[in-house]
Order: sequence, then C-alpha cells, then structure tokens
Amino acid sequence: MLLNGVRTAPHKRGEGTGKNEMECVMKVSMRESLELVSDPLNLDSSVEEVFKMMLGMDCQRETTLPVTGDESVTAVVGFGGVLSGACVFRSDASTAMRIAAQMTGMEFDSIDDTVKDAIGEIGNMLAGAWKGKVPNLAANCGLSIPAVITGRDYNLHVQAPEFELHHVYRFEDAWFEVTIICDGMQ
Amino acid sequence: MREIRILIVDDSTVMRKIVERSLRQAGLDTLVVHEAGSGTEGIEVLRVHTVDLILSDINMPSMDGLEFLRQIRAQDLAPGVPVVMITTESSEEHVKQAILSGAQGYIRKPFTAEQVKERVLSLLTAA
Repeated sequence: MLLNGVRTAPHKRGEGTGKNEMECVMKVSMRESLELVSDPLNLDSSVEEVFKMMLGMDCQRETTLPVTGDESVTAVVGFGGVLSGACVFRSDASTAMRIAAQMTGMEFDSIDDTVKDAIGEIGNMLAGAWKGKVPNLAANCGLSIPAVITGRDYNLHVQAPEFELHHVYRFEDAWFEVTIICDGMQ
Repeated sequence: MREIRILIVDDSTVMRKIVERSLRQAGLDTLVVHEAGSGTEGIEVLRVHTVDLILSDINMPSMDGLEFLRQIRAQDLAPGVPVVMITTESSEEHVKQAILSGAQGYIRKPFTAEQVKERVLSLLTAA
C-alpha cells in the first residue's frame, strides 16, 4: 500500500489472486483518513500530554470560555505538506503569564518576550503532539515557526475550512482554547 | 567531580531554560552551559568553546538543527561529541534523518526531566 509515497504492507485483498502486485497498490490520501485526522480525542490527549509533561498540570475539557475582556495571547503554528492549516492556542494574559511562570520558574506581571516565547513553544508542542497522533501526518506534514499575536478583540477567520476542532480547557481557574484548522488536504 | 560542558541550541530561550533545568534535575550540578539561538550561533560557540555534549532543536530559523549538525560534522568542529536532537517532530523518518546527519540521540517534545536524564547520562557515560 502506498501512503503518500511511503510504502507499507501490501494491500491484503490482492494477495493470492495472481494479479501483478502493482495492480493492487492503492493510494490512500489524507482525505480518506479524515475521520482519524479530525478525531477530537487526539486534540484532548495532545493537550493533556503537553501540559502534564511540561508544566505538571492536569487540564480539563470545558464547554465554554469565560469572557474576560482582557488582553489575549495567541500562538499560531502552521501545518504544511499533506495537510495545510494551523494549530492555534489562545488564552487571556493572566493564563499566559501563569503558563510561562510554570515553565520558567520566573514571575511575570506583563506579556514580555519570555511569555510570548513560552506561549509560542506551547503552540509548537501542541501542533507537534497533535500531528504525531496520525503516522501519515507525523511523517509528511511540517510545522512552521510559531507566530505569537497579542491584543484585544481580534478573530482568526479561515474561509471554508475542510474541518475545524475548537476545544476549551481549564487548569485550576485558568482557561485557554486550542483550535485546529485544516484548510487543505492532499 | 569534573565539569560537564554542554551546548544547548534552541531559538526559544524558554526551552533552553527548561532543558538546562532538566539537566540540573538529572543531578548534573557541575554543568557549564553554553547557549545558542540558532545553528549559526551554535557554530560560533563551538569555534571558541569545547563541549562534552550538544543538545539541539531541529525546527529553527536561520539554520535548522539538521543543517547545524551536518556543518559541525563536515567542519570537524566537535569531533566525537555526542549530539542529541530535541524536537516536536516524532516520525521514524525524522529520527532516521537525524541519525544519518550524525545525531546519537533524539528526545521528543514534550519531554520529562527523567527522559532528558536517561538520554544524556547514557551518552556521557559512554563517551
């Protein structure tokens, strides 16, 4: 079987039929594994893994994000290759500072470069952990360098995405959201 | 106990801090840590300092970790010094590419201090 050019085990249905093996080779695209790629549990386990291993924190999935009106911090990591899109982490400023404090052992009272760097790394690890759940994505989808955006009242809009996962999580009394947007698959 | 000199190459200052903290948690208190924010900076550090181990990210602007690894091997900048790649990329293909470029170890992000300890101590003991 060919998975985007990566040869794995031959297709079972063709075995023993006397046909040339090449006739049985079937290309499986990312689109055909859409159900696996868009499985929401993959995102939950990626968030759990990153927060537990890097921050020693347990996260819970929530249904809604409380509106605070605070400045927010967003990390965007792009996907390229067999899947294009982005992993977007977003939290309010106080949550971002708590995450950075937990990662570095330092205290923060504003969104400085170290906080932005920490949130960019969280976005990077979430994107890497999420794509690592699907072998074809792990091997054939690259990640961009994280971009971090700070401010108020902004929205990220993608015209007609293939699929989108948008989850809200909480640790202690801090909230954040993680979005996977896929705008193209090969 | 002799000092252990380590070069950490990562474009994220936060990740460099986390890696250093993990090494200290591994019991390596006699550490001398050199830091570099890119492969290019890493090469500059190696032109001046001798190290016992290199820990490098892969996905970096300017010069990525694999190119950095190829360059130091080609220029014989750190002969016999083990290199461990620390990265979010986890596929077998990426590991293979890192090993072919001259890495001796691979740590996937996110990681625990225990995983860093295990990889680093085994390489330092073998060296």
